[in-house]
Amino acid sequence: MPALRNAPTVVRVTDVSKRFVIRKEKSLKERIVNFGRSQKHKDDFWALRNVSFEIKAGTTIGLVGANGSGKSTLLKVLGGIIQPNDGTVERRGRLAALLELGAGFHPDLTGRENVYLNSAILGLTRKQTDEYFQSIVDFSEIEEFIDTQVKFYSSGMYVRLAFAIAVHVDPDILLVDEVLAVGDEPFQEKCMNKIKEFQAEGRTIILVSHSAGQVEELCDRVVVLSHGNVVFDGGAADGILALRESFEH
Amino acid sequence: MATQAEVRAERLAQLPFEASANAGPKSVGGFIASVQEIFSHRELLDLLIRRELKSRYKDSTLGFVWSLIKPLVQLLIYYVFIGTVLGAARGVPQFAIFVFSGLTLWGLYSEIIASGTSSIVTNAGLIKKVYLPREIFPLASTGSAIFNFLIQMIVLLAAILLLGQFPISLNLLYVPAAVVIVLIWGVAFAVLLSALNVYLRDIQYLVEVAMLLLFWASPIVYSWNLVVDAAKAHSWLLEIYLLNPVSLAMLAFQRGLWQAGSQVNVIGTNTIQPQQWPAYMDVRLAFAAIAGLVVLFIAQRIFARLQGNFAQEI
Repeated sequence: MPALRNAPTVVRVTDVSKRFVIRKEKSLKERIVNFGRSQKHKDDFWALRNVSFEIKAGTTIGLVGANGSGKSTLLKVLGGIIQPNDGTVERRGRLAALLELGAGFHPDLTGRENVYLNSAILGLTRKQTDEYFQSIVDFSEIEEFIDTQVKFYSSGMYVRLAFAIAVHVDPDILLVDEVLAVGDEPFQEKCMNKIKEFQAEGRTIILVSHSAGQVEELCDRVVVLSHGNVVFDGGAADGILALRESFEH
Repeated sequence: MATQAEVRAERLAQLPFEASANAGPKSVGGFIASVQEIFSHRELLDLLIRRELKSRYKDSTLGFVWSLIKPLVQLLIYYVFIGTVLGAARGVPQFAIFVFSGLTLWGLYSEIIASGTSSIVTNAGLIKKVYLPREIFPLASTGSAIFNFLIQMIVLLAAILLLGQFPISLNLLYVPAAVVIVLIWGVAFAVLLSALNVYLRDIQYLVEVAMLLLFWASPIVYSWNLVVDAAKAHSWLLEIYLLNPVSLAMLAFQRGLWQAGSQVNVIGTNTIQPQQWPAYMDVRLAFAAIAGLVVLFIAQRIFARLQGNFAQEI
């Protein structure tokens, strides 16, 4: 995508570190029994270490790395779902996080009820949902099942509806965690087209993906993470090479 | 002509940077910011309450009737066994109204706390994936408890009307005061316990047991006069009893709705004196409300401190 000249910064990550503490006991009994020795029953590791970068409006940025390198944690920190132990994340504009499609779906409610609920979770008002409702249903192509409880949906129908809602939220910043490969081929293509439309509209997309092809096709910048550190930050093609290299460590 | 992308970039350039959730002001400022954030999500809160109500009885034939059957059976048990068999009704006029008003208010309190405590853990799927002001989950539980309370209230008022006991007097003002106090304290505990429950799952079982005990610490199936008689020699015991805001709210609720309790009654050969309602009840209620607000504030601050790690602890 042609980046705008002097595009404003929308996300600013400064020196972010996140430590996970893994406690091995959870119940009261175990805690009392192990009281005083609790340090031994803790493990911690740094999921993110002094990560800093800025993102300009309208860029599509790919976060890549081996399993456990901290990319999903970083995405959650960006979305405000996890708070970092150190450092700050600043951002502006409306943010939507697509970390899991249909996270807010309730199996006992109908598709229609879930559309309203999920839109509200993603930040739409009731009036806006009313406006977009038909377009959401059309995008998902499951009109005839919209008044069925979603527990009876096939997994494909489920993600179609969820994706349809997510793309109607009108975000300035979209966080995407490996959810683009949903549905059958025609629907996948539809999703990709929608993402490209988003790019043309100047939305910022932050994408976690394991698919090198997808990253190369969509992203104009790649950040490679390894053991919680940023090891590469730059163009997509070089990023893929850096990613391959990071696997070897 | 500016493209859509340029328009967006220009708009974004105008916006101030926001720090990610919760890095903002602490203490009072943080409390106000949280309240504002919840208020801006009130449409979502409304939908979550509906979701909770709808999904609870979704596939049952009787649906909402079930939320009434439980308290009615409870009423029957207490009326028949405690009232008639064990003879409590001989000392308490209009025993059915007395017990049902107590059960109704207690039902509100215990449902807020019990379902509020587990609310964060049950909504783990959402909390891990989307950022929302997390207080919204215990509040949604509170909302559905209020709905059930209102249904029971309708039954209670209908029963009062049928029995010809409608208490039209200034005492009725005690009813909303009692409900407000129960709501403040219920929400405060729900918010606090829901956060603690994430780190220590035993809390929800502990709460169940505690609620079972606390049921007997309020004058629900026995009357206030009984407490007064039992503690005649040590009036400080009564003061301790009244320190429990729910006991106080219970008395206010009964004073408002249970007209027979404030009158001289004759049951069989017994003459029953009116309840010796505690002195300075209005002042006590006001204090209970203010203390509740302070506890609510503290509970929210603790919640705010703990919620940063919810997503990884659940």
